[in-house]
Amino acid sequence: MLEPIKKNWRILLLVVVVLGSTVALFGPGFGPEPAPGENASEAQQGITNLQYGLDLAGGTRVRAPLSGYTATDVALGGETPEAVAEAVAAELDNASTVDVGVVPEERAVEVTEASVTESQFRAAMDAAGYEYGGIREGVTQQTRDATIGVIQEKINQAGLSGGSVQQVQSITGEYFILVEVPGQGREEVIDLLEERGTVRIDIAYPDANGTAVQEGVLVQRDFETIGTAAQRERGTGAYVPVTVRNTADNGQSPAHAFQDAVEQRGFADAYQTQADRCGYNSETGEIENSNPCLLLVVDGEVVNSFGMDPGLADSMAAGSWADTGNFRLTTTEFAEAERISLNLRAGALPADLDISGEGTSSSISASQGENFRTYSVVIGVLSVFAVAGMVFLRYREPRVALPMILTALAEVYALLGFAALLGYPLELAVIAGFIAVVGTGVDDLVIIADEVMSEGDVNSKKVFDSRFRRAFWVIGAAAATTIIAMSPLMVLSLGDLSGFAIFTVLGVLIGVLITRPAYGDILRRLLTVR
Amino acid sequence: MVAIEVPKVNYTDYSNRQLAAVPLAFLVLALAIIGGWVVATGAPANLGLEFTGGVELRVADDGGDVEQQIQTAFEREPDSVRTIPGDDVVVVTFQAAEDDPEGLANDLQDQAEAAGLTTTAVDQVSPSFASDTARTAIFGVALAFLGMSVLVFALFRTFVPSLAVVASAFSDLVIPIAAMNLLGIQMTLGTIAALLMIIGYSVDSDILLNDSVLRRTGEFYESVSRAMRTGVTMTLTSIAAMVVMAVVASVFGIGLLRDIGIILSVGLCADLMNTYLLNVSLLRWYKFEGVAR
Repeated sequence: MLEPIKKNWRILLLVVVVLGSTVALFGPGFGPEPAPGENASEAQQGITNLQYGLDLAGGTRVRAPLSGYTATDVALGGETPEAVAEAVAAELDNASTVDVGVVPEERAVEVTEASVTESQFRAAMDAAGYEYGGIREGVTQQTRDATIGVIQEKINQAGLSGGSVQQVQSITGEYFILVEVPGQGREEVIDLLEERGTVRIDIAYPDANGTAVQEGVLVQRDFETIGTAAQRERGTGAYVPVTVRNTADNGQSPAHAFQDAVEQRGFADAYQTQADRCGYNSETGEIENSNPCLLLVVDGEVVNSFGMDPGLADSMAAGSWADTGNFRLTTTEFAEAERISLNLRAGALPADLDISGEGTSSSISASQGENFRTYSVVIGVLSVFAVAGMVFLRYREPRVALPMILTALAEVYALLGFAALLGYPLELAVIAGFIAVVGTGVDDLVIIADEVMSEGDVNSKKVFDSRFRRAFWVIGAAAATTIIAMSPLMVLSLGDLSGFAIFTVLGVLIGVLITRPAYGDILRRLLTVR
Repeated sequence: MVAIEVPKVNYTDYSNRQLAAVPLAFLVLALAIIGGWVVATGAPANLGLEFTGGVELRVADDGGDVEQQIQTAFEREPDSVRTIPGDDVVVVTFQAAEDDPEGLANDLQDQAEAAGLTTTAVDQVSPSFASDTARTAIFGVALAFLGMSVLVFALFRTFVPSLAVVASAFSDLVIPIAAMNLLGIQMTLGTIAALLMIIGYSVDSDILLNDSVLRRTGEFYESVSRAMRTGVTMTLTSIAAMVVMAVVASVFGIGLLRDIGIILSVGLCADLMNTYLLNVSLLRWYKFEGVAR
C-alpha cells in the first residue's frame, strides 16, 4: 500500500500542489477582501480568485511623501507634549498647536503644516528653547501610521473597493505613502487624498470696525456622533447631523463652550423669526447686516455661512441645548455635505501628502486594463505553443515532449494558485515573471531530458538516478544564481520590479522543489526499460 | 516535419583568438554605442518616464486625426508623440516639469479633454523621485550582478572558467542595451526586468557548459558538443517563445511585453554567440594551457 506512494511521491506532490492551486484559484474564501458594503462575489474579478493590479484592472496609484519636518533627539525636559507643542507653535506665525506634534517615545517634535520651511522650524525650536539633535524632512513614524489609517478609512468610507495604503521606504531612507485604488480615475483619488479634511465652525460677528471672527468654536474632535449627509426638508441645501460632546474630563465641555459662545455673540437677539437671515458675504468676508453668523470652514476655506433657527438660539440662550448637543452642519450642496460627512468620519489627515512636489501618480482606464488582461492570456498561450512546437521538433518523441509541456504548464498554474492564495495583484511585470519562469523551467526540463537520455537506454533505476542527480546539479546551480540575482529586487522599493522578482523566485523554487523532480519521475517511468 | 539537429562545430579549425574575436568585437561595438549615447544624450540609454520625471498621457486614437489634434491641444510642446497602432493609442510624453508635475498632469488632462481627446492613462513622476528610482534601479542591478558573480565563483572555485561565465553574462547584458538604444526602446523598470531575466538565462547555458567540461569525465570537444546539444536547444526554445511574445504583443500594443520579448531575443542570440565562442575559447585555453601553468 505504502510502496507505490513512496516510489512516486514526487509526482504525487505535484498533483497535490496542482489540486491546492485549483482550490486557491476557484474555491470560495480565497477571493479578494470585499470592501464595506460589498459582498464577496462583487469583489471577485472574473471567474477566478485572482486579483489584478492597476495595469490589468485600471485604476490609480499615488506615491508621495508626507510634508513636514521633524526635530530629532529633542531635550523635552519632562514637559508634557501639549506644553511643548504650544511653546513651539507660538514661535511659528503660520502654524497652530494642532500642526505641531510631539512624540516623547521618539524624542521627536514635528511640524506638519506644509508652509513652514525648515529654517522657520529651526528658528522656532531655538526660540522655544528646546535643544535638538537635528532636523530631517518628513514626519514621525507615529504620524505616518496615523495617516495611513486615516487614508484607508477615507477610501473605505468613499466605498472604493480594493484600495490599499502602505508605507514604502526608498533607498535614501525617505518614507513614502503608496496608495492604490483600482477602478478609479486619477483626479477622484487625488482629490480624496489632497483634501486634508479639517472641518471647523467659526462665528463671524459685527464689531466696532466691521466684522470679527471667533475661530474654532467647534472643531473636529468636539463631535461625538456624525450622521450621514441628508437633504434639507424644505428649501435647498443639505446638512450633516452631528452631536457635540457635552461631557468633559476637566473644564467646560465642547457643547457648553459652544453654547456660551453663541449666547455671547447675541444669536438669540438677532434671530427672532424665520425671516432673520445671515448676511455674510463670502467674497468680502464682511457681514452685510448686523446678525452674527456661523461659518462652516473646511480645509481653511469658508464653504457655507448660516444663521440660526430661533428655537435653537433660544434653547442655547437658556442653556438647555447642551443637554442633547444636536446640531446640523448646513451646506448649499448635497455633494459637499457628503464630503464633509466622509471627512469627519475618517478624521483629518495628520499631515499633507506632498503629491505635487516629490510624489508620483499613474492611472490607467478600466477598459484598457481589461484589454491588457485578455491580451496577456493570449500572449501567454501563444508563447507556450511556441515552446511546445520547438520541443516537439527537437525530440520528436511525445513521451518526452508531452510531459515536458504539461510540467511547464503545471508550474505556471501553481504560480497562479500562489498569487491567488497570497492575494498578490497580477500586473504586467508579474506576467513577465511568469514568462521568465516558463522559459527557465523548460530549459531545465531540456537539461533533465537530455541528460537522462544520453549514452543509450536507461535500463535501471540506478542509472537513471545517477544521471538525474547530475542534471540536478546544473539546475540547482542555475536556480541558485537566479534567486541570488533577484533577491535584492524583492526588497528594494522599485514598484513593478518587486512583483517580477518575487514571482520569478517563487517560480524557480516551485520548479526546483516540486515540478522538475516530478518530471524526472515521469520520465523514469516512461523510459526505464524493465 | 523537420527535426532540429544541433550542428556540430569543428572548434579545432579555429584558434582561441579567432573564436574570441567575434564576441569581443560585438562587445566593443556595443560599448561604443552606449558610450556614444552618453556623449550625445548624457545617459547610457533612452531613459523612460520613471527615470526622467515628467508626465505621460495615453490618448485613445479613435480613427480621427488624433496626432494633428495633439499638436494643437496642449499649451506645452510635447517632448514625444508615439503611436501604438495595435492598441489605437497615442502616447504623449512631456519631460520633467521642475516646479509642479502634478499640477501639470491635471492641466494636460484638462487640455486633452477640452480638445475632445480621450485619455486612457496618465502617469506623472516628479524629477526628484525619478532620480531616486534611477539610483535604486542601478544599485539593484549591480547587486544582482555582483551576487550572481560571487555565487558562480563559489560554485566552480576556479578563476578562468568562473570569469568566463561572468564575462559572457556581462556581454549578454551590454549587447541588448546597445540594441535598445538603436531600436529606440526606452529604459524602464519593465525593461530592466528583461535585462535581469537575461542574467538568469545566460547563466543557465554557461553553467551547463562549464559543468560538462570541468566536472564530467570525457574529452574536451566531446564535452563541449554534449553541452551544446542541450544548451542550444534550451536557448532556441526560449528565443522561439520570446519572438512569439514580441510579435503578438506588438500586434496587441502592449509595449512592455513587446519590449521584453525583443530585448530577450537579442540577449539570447548574444548568449548563443558568447557561450559557444567566448566561453568555449576561454575554457579551452584554461583546459589546455591555463592548467599546465
